[in-house]
Amino acid sequence: MRDAAWLFPFVETVHLLALGLLGGTVLIVDLRLFGAVLRQEPVSRLARDVEPWVIGGLAAMLLSGLPLFCSEALKMYTNGAFRLKMILLALALVYTFTVRRIVVLDDKPTSPMRGRMAALVSLALWSGVGLCGRAIGFLGT
Amino acid sequence: MLVRPFLEWLANTTFSAYLRESPWAYPIVETVHVLTLCLFLGFTMLLDLRLLGIALERTAASEATRRLEPWILLGFVLMLLSGGLLFASDPIGFSQNVFLRIKLDIILLGGLNVWIYHVTVYGSVADWDRKRTTPWGAKAVAICSLVFWAGIVAMGRAIAYVPANLRGRP
Repeated sequence: MRDAAWLFPFVETVHLLALGLLGGTVLIVDLRLFGAVLRQEPVSRLARDVEPWVIGGLAAMLLSGLPLFCSEALKMYTNGAFRLKMILLALALVYTFTVRRIVVLDDKPTSPMRGRMAALVSLALWSGVGLCGRAIGFLGT
Repeated sequence: MLVRPFLEWLANTTFSAYLRESPWAYPIVETVHVLTLCLFLGFTMLLDLRLLGIALERTAASEATRRLEPWILLGFVLMLLSGGLLFASDPIGFSQNVFLRIKLDIILLGGLNVWIYHVTVYGSVADWDRKRTTPWGAKAVAICSLVFWAGIVAMGRAIAYVPANLRGRP
């Protein structure tokens, strides 16, 4: 993969398209928790409707991220941004499919504050993953 | 043509030099450009998937269009601003970059596609607003949109791989 000139950018493109899907589907629910978008829609319904696409985006993200990692595995292993990204990714995944999932799928939300806190943590964790992802390239040289 | 003198003037401004030479400016702007994909591309994809009838099926199509489009527009403006700054860091190099030219052409097609959606199928949205099966026109617009934006992202990535523009690292 290091040797084929077009392959790395191609897989990067897939990774970026998957970022759009995963980031967008996480973001829309977080913005809904803040009451900023699709207000007339119950949070739980929106969250349920986008969930397959969150998982699809995540799968595409991991499947495209793996070959990117493999092509430069040794470099990545010592790349600080990559290590931090993996830690934040693990936290974001655990958080999204446990705490946040319970909050967003709750059919009778108790307080909007709870939703907002859940959205804030989600945005912080996923932004961290994205920022570290971008930093991998900058620290790579 | 007045384009070339303008590009030369822009390249010689301290603003352009700052974007080019500061160790932080370019990476920060590039990061904003990439992460705004979540808002812009993510919401565009969701709307496209709604028009295909395979996502947000319980949300009315008109509702999805009206509520998502302002966010998509905001995302587009952020994309345009951050992209403009990236361009300003090396106006002459980027203006000669074939992938940027193709990218801008496809963006025009993407804009045209949105316009077509609004003047055609969206006009009769009341007839299919809550239906799971959307009309073929809506599906065609959605597929064009997905294809265009995939092409735009691919071209965007390719821009950085043109040797003349290699700025240390793609």
